[in-house]
Amino acid sequence: MPSPGFTLAQIIADDGSPRLVLAGSLTLADGGALWQQLRRALAQQSIAVCDVSAVSRLDGGAAALLQALAVERGRAGAPLRWLGASGEVGRMLALYDCARSGSCAPVEPPASTLLGDVGDFAHGAWRTTQAILAFLGDLVVGVLAALRRPRTVHTGELGVLFERAGADGLPIVMLINFLVGAILGLQGAIQLHRFGGDQFLANLVGLSVVRELGPLMTAILVTGRSGAAYAAELGTMTVNEEVDALRTLGQDPQRFLVFPRVLTLLCVVPLLTVVGDLLGSVGGLFVAMTYLDQPMVVYLQSLQQAVSLGDVGTGLLKSFVFGGTIALVSCQRGLATRGGADGVGRATTSAVVVVLFALVVLDGVFTWVFSLLDW
Amino acid sequence: MASVLSVRDLAVGYGKEPLLEEISFEVPRGEVFAILGGSGCGKSTLLRTLVGLQEPLAGRVHFRGIGGPDKAMTPPRFGVLFQSAALLGSWTLLQNVLLPLRKWTDLPLDAATVVALARLRLVGLDQAAHQLPAEVSGGMKKRAGIARALALDPPILFLDEPSAGLDPVTAAGLDELIVTLARTLGVTIVLVSHELPSILRTTDQCIMLDRAAGGIIARGAPRELAERSPDPRVQAFFHRTTLPPS
Repeated sequence: MPSPGFTLAQIIADDGSPRLVLAGSLTLADGGALWQQLRRALAQQSIAVCDVSAVSRLDGGAAALLQALAVERGRAGAPLRWLGASGEVGRMLALYDCARSGSCAPVEPPASTLLGDVGDFAHGAWRTTQAILAFLGDLVVGVLAALRRPRTVHTGELGVLFERAGADGLPIVMLINFLVGAILGLQGAIQLHRFGGDQFLANLVGLSVVRELGPLMTAILVTGRSGAAYAAELGTMTVNEEVDALRTLGQDPQRFLVFPRVLTLLCVVPLLTVVGDLLGSVGGLFVAMTYLDQPMVVYLQSLQQAVSLGDVGTGLLKSFVFGGTIALVSCQRGLATRGGADGVGRATTSAVVVVLFALVVLDGVFTWVFSLLDW
Repeated sequence: MASVLSVRDLAVGYGKEPLLEEISFEVPRGEVFAILGGSGCGKSTLLRTLVGLQEPLAGRVHFRGIGGPDKAMTPPRFGVLFQSAALLGSWTLLQNVLLPLRKWTDLPLDAATVVALARLRLVGLDQAAHQLPAEVSGGMKKRAGIARALALDPPILFLDEPSAGLDPVTAAGLDELIVTLARTLGVTIVLVSHELPSILRTTDQCIMLDRAAGGIIARGAPRELAERSPDPRVQAFFHRTTLPPS
C-alpha cells in the first residue's frame, strides 16, 4: 500500500502546549489514513491547535474530514483551531465549515423499533385492504355507468390484452398443468397400487385437477405473468404521470385501463382453466398408461364416471372469480404506486403477494361453501 | 490557462449516421464551459460521448493529466449530473452520495458518512440526507445529483441541463453553486443547457451547436456572442426570437 502524501507530527509549541502539524498533500485518496491518524492524535484532549501552514494541497473530501473532527472536538468541549490556514487551504476549510451553512447538528436517521415496524406493517395491511375494497366499489359503480354508456369504455386494447394473457400464456399453462396432473397421478398411483385401487386413479386426478388444482395452478400462473405485468405497467404509467395525463384528458383511468384488463382476465382465466383441466387429466392418463399399464379407454371411462359437469362448473366458477381478483388487485396495486423504479418494484411484489393470498383464501371459502351446498 | 479537456474532430451520432461532425474545442482548467444549442441539436449526445457512455463515430476526446473516459476498473475521474439527476430511487440521498465513496476510497463508514454529509451540506441538503429521492423536489434531486457527482472530488464535472425545469430562485441557487465549485474548488465544469439566464450567469466560454449545420456554428464568451455575433441563428438563440425565413 503506498504511503500517504501527508505527514502528521506532534510538537511542543513555544508556549509549551502540544500542537499537531500537518504537512504535504491532503486528499480523499489518503482519507482513510488521515482520518485514523488524526483521530488517534486528537484523542489527547490537551491538543487545541493543528498547524496546516505546510499543507500544499487540500481537496474537498479531506477538508470535510478535518472539519468533522474539529466539530467532534468542539462537541466534546475541547475545540480545535486550524493554524496557518491561508490561500486555497483556507478557502477549502471555510467551504466545508458546517457553521457556514448554519448548523453543525448531527443528522440522525429516523428511528426504527420492532414495535413500530409491526405497527407500520399492520397499518399498511389495513390500508391496502381498505384501498382494494374501495377500488372494488369504484369498479362496481364504474361498471354500472359503463353499462349505461358502453362507448365510454376503452376497448381498443382488448385484442392485444387477450393475446398477451391468453394465447401467449397457453404453452406454460399447458405444460405446468400436465406436469401437476402427472405428479399427482404418480403419487396417487403408488399408493393406490398398494391397495389394488388402480382403477381409482382417474377419480383422484380428475376430481383434484378439475375442482382444485386446475383453477388454482392456472390462476397462479396468470398472476405471475399477467398480474405482475399489469401492476408494473400501470405502476410505471403512474410514476411517469401518464395516469394523471389521462385524467386531464377527461379519461377515467378505471374505464381506460382497468376495465379492459378485468374483462380480459374474467374471460381468459376460465378458458385457460379448461385447457389446464384437460392437460392435467392427460398427465394422469400418461401415468396410468406408463406406470400402471392401464389401457387408455379404462382411464377415460373412469374419468367420465368420476367427473361430472358440475365439478367442471365449480372449477370454472372459481377461475372466473380468480381472474377478476387477479386483475382487480394487480391494477389497484399498480395505480397506487408511489416513487420511482423502486415503487414499481414494490407495487409488483405487493400485487403478486396480495393476489396469491387472496386466491388461497378464496379457494378455501369456495371449498367450504361447496361442501355446505353439497356441490 | 492549460486545458484539461481537448476534443478533436469529433463526430457523434446514433448508428452510423453522424448527428454532429468536426467538433473541436478545448476547456481550460477551472472554467465553466457550456455546450449550447436548440432542442434536438445533439447536445446531450455530445455530452454522452464526452463522458464515455457512447462511442464517437470519429475523432477523439482527451483529458489532459487525468486520464480518458473511464472504462477500466479505476475510479471515475469526472462527475456527471444527468438531466433527471438519476438518483437510485430506493436509496436515501446520503446512500446515493456514499455509493462512490464506499466503492473507490478506503474510508471507514463513519468517515465516508462525514464526507458524504459534507457534500450534501455543500448543496444545502444535509437535513434531507435520510430522505428518498421520491420525497424531495426536482431541484433538491438535481442538487443531490451534484453532491453525488462531487463525491470523489473530480477535477471535471459534466452537468446535463442542471437548471432545466427549476423555478428561477432554485435555478439561481444552482448557478451560484456552479460558480462556487469552479472558482473556489477549481473544478472544471462542462454543462449542457439552453437556459439563457443560467448561461449568462455562470459560463466563461461556450460553443453553439446547430443540427442543420451538423456542428459548431459559434464559439466564445456567451455575452460577447449575444452582443456581437453576426450569425442570425446565434442572435435568435440569445434574444429568443424566431429565425427569419431562409
